[in-house]
Amino acid sequence: MSDRIVVIGGGPAGLEAAAMAGRLGAPVLIVEKRSHLGGAPIAESYAALTHGLQSAEELMGKMMAAATDLDRVEVRTESEVVAMSGTGGNFTVTISSNGSEETVDAGAIVLATGFQHFDPGRETQQYGYYEFPDVITIQDAEGMLKEETFVTPSTGKPPERVAFIQCVGSRDRQIGNEYCSKVCCGISSKQAIEVRQQVPDARVFIFYIDMRMYGYWENEIYWPAQEQHRVNYVKGIVTEVLAKNGRLIIRGEDTTMGRPMEVPMDVVVLAVGMEPSPGTRHMADILGIATNKYGFVETVHDVLDTVTTAVAGVYVCGSATGPADLDDTISSAGSAGAKAVAYLRSGAEVPA
Amino acid sequence: MTRGPNPKVDPERVMELEHAVIDGMDVSGHWNRMFEQRVIFDYDIHQLDRVTELDGGESMGWCYQCAQCVPVCPVDHVGTYGPRRIFRNLQLGQDFFANDDLWLCTTCANCLRVCPKEVDMLQIMPAVRKEAVLAGDVPKELQDVFEKTARYGNPLGKNAKRRAAWTKGLDVDVPLISELDRKVDVLWWVSDYPSYHPRGIDASRALARVLTHLGVDFAILGAEERHDGDSMLRAGESGLFEMLAEQNIETLNQYEFDVLLTTDPHAYNAFLHEYPQRGGTYNTAHYTQFLEERIEAMGLTESIDRTITFHDPCYLGRHNGEYEAPRTLIGALPGSELVEMWRSRENGYCCGGGGGGMWLDGLAADNQSMRLSEKRVREAVETGADTLCVACPYEVSRFEDAVKSTNNDGSLEVLDIAELLAAALGLATD
Repeated sequence: MSDRIVVIGGGPAGLEAAAMAGRLGAPVLIVEKRSHLGGAPIAESYAALTHGLQSAEELMGKMMAAATDLDRVEVRTESEVVAMSGTGGNFTVTISSNGSEETVDAGAIVLATGFQHFDPGRETQQYGYYEFPDVITIQDAEGMLKEETFVTPSTGKPPERVAFIQCVGSRDRQIGNEYCSKVCCGISSKQAIEVRQQVPDARVFIFYIDMRMYGYWENEIYWPAQEQHRVNYVKGIVTEVLAKNGRLIIRGEDTTMGRPMEVPMDVVVLAVGMEPSPGTRHMADILGIATNKYGFVETVHDVLDTVTTAVAGVYVCGSATGPADLDDTISSAGSAGAKAVAYLRSGAEVPA
Repeated sequence: MTRGPNPKVDPERVMELEHAVIDGMDVSGHWNRMFEQRVIFDYDIHQLDRVTELDGGESMGWCYQCAQCVPVCPVDHVGTYGPRRIFRNLQLGQDFFANDDLWLCTTCANCLRVCPKEVDMLQIMPAVRKEAVLAGDVPKELQDVFEKTARYGNPLGKNAKRRAAWTKGLDVDVPLISELDRKVDVLWWVSDYPSYHPRGIDASRALARVLTHLGVDFAILGAEERHDGDSMLRAGESGLFEMLAEQNIETLNQYEFDVLLTTDPHAYNAFLHEYPQRGGTYNTAHYTQFLEERIEAMGLTESIDRTITFHDPCYLGRHNGEYEAPRTLIGALPGSELVEMWRSRENGYCCGGGGGGMWLDGLAADNQSMRLSEKRVREAVETGADTLCVACPYEVSRFEDAVKSTNNDGSLEVLDIAELLAAALGLATD
């Protein structure tokens, strides 16, 4: 019987789960594949977080400190879980670091291996992501916005016209991702605001099927983007991006006008959705936990318990369970950390 | 409609006027054939910026296309105009400052009532129209009215000196305040159509009789009264409005009175919301409100034997929240039954006369399948009422014309509420 909790993944979800378990008195080991903590917001150079427009680096720094300042929380970077055996309360976890392997005991495991951005060239080339340098993704845009160098990649000049195309890789039966990725409408609107702030002369357009700005994102992002930053929302996502006389032309239907649309743009930003990360898929195999048809981890109840898996002692949180924004992620991660500790402390539930 | 060789290719829409005369030349038929551009090749946002950068135009950029305005916009029912579409057309680079759409809004305020984003056409329209007026881009029929109003003090272009001529031969005394040389309880702001238009005069004479019957100490301004200017302001002629307001305030401030009694809801609106910040603050009442308070004293005895439907004036109802006073009066008419139209009170349909629409019949005819007043008269007829009761002087003439043009002559009578009250009091008629 071990009282240690192994947290797999050192992104926002893993950090919050570790900090919660640590604060409740449990020894925690964070196993992170990358050389750094902070997950996608750091790895993908996010500029400001949606919503609130606070610096991603600063907020991730706070999260890292909250976890690692605790003596009970230990971190292993450039490390991967390669095997797991035993049952709840008495797991043996094999960790590979720089070619060497070690085994550690764990009473409970929290999986926090997150998502990856949809690859817009994986299934379809209709937007020419691998064909045109000026067709970029929202994470490409994040990098430029973080450096305050939002330019047309092919020319290095500030763009006059920027179009965001929503729902790329989401809500698509052909691609196999029927779900809504939940965050892209907000992120695009946030980026549109940042583009308008950094390149005030740029005209910014968002082409959408329907804007999904739930809760406070509506009034904190969508409305200011339109009303104060004059971002132009046009209903009807673009069907294809073509080049004509050296310019990108987006083609689609302007649905509220009921007219075809062929408009030149300098930069086209694809609001790519969320898919399970390779780590999430791989770890689900190793831990023997069920995933849904999209590869996201399943929990015992889709409403009442969004962090407990069918394997006793194994919990999951954040975007490993499905598309999630950071607010959702922090909430589920705190819950997973606390439930893991509760599991170890409630003898009745812990197998002998 | 012509079709290309490939039936799968959707042809661009063909427009051809059967009868068209341009600058005296007959270009009917194929001479004027146009193909409407279907493909949008650009979003020229600067036209939207031109509007949102105006004082009062800001909220034009807030529209998120929910389209709730469409079913309640009275103009949207009879043409292609619509608040939602204005925003989209601006995004598409339409020059709103030189477009018929700019003049179709009657400022009825029904879109603002339902708009979740508070896109405020009551601010946007006057702001943009003001620029169009400055640029001389005004429909001629409206420009003529601006000029008449500036010159004669009334939009009808009537002789200002004959403003009180409607009181001639009346069996009751309607004194001019300038001749009384004393304070009066009520100064009656008669307004233009009630002073000059034959049917407006009928209502004015009825109201004078009712006031006299009640023993009200009242007087009028006569030739000293000018157009209140409210509709000029909504139509974009803010300079003319300022001039009229200044002159009217100067006139009103010479006299002592307790109540400023208005016949016209547009004047009522101006006295409530525009004149105070310009130095003219008055205890203003619409005549329906004034009479409602005296309904017991009136002693309505004569059965009028009518089924009545009531049309809410936009500037009494939606703009100023008064729905009850006229209904209380109608309810007190002996032998009358009030039947409501399906759109009434907050959702009342517009007669088409507000915001300059009173003087834009030609433009409306060019852009609308029917007049708003015609649509409203049909709704009134549908209720089974024999009387369409009104409380705004713009409406009697508009609705009477519409009764004729919709072939309802003889089945629906348009009467001002003052005329109905005078009848129920058994007062003299002309």
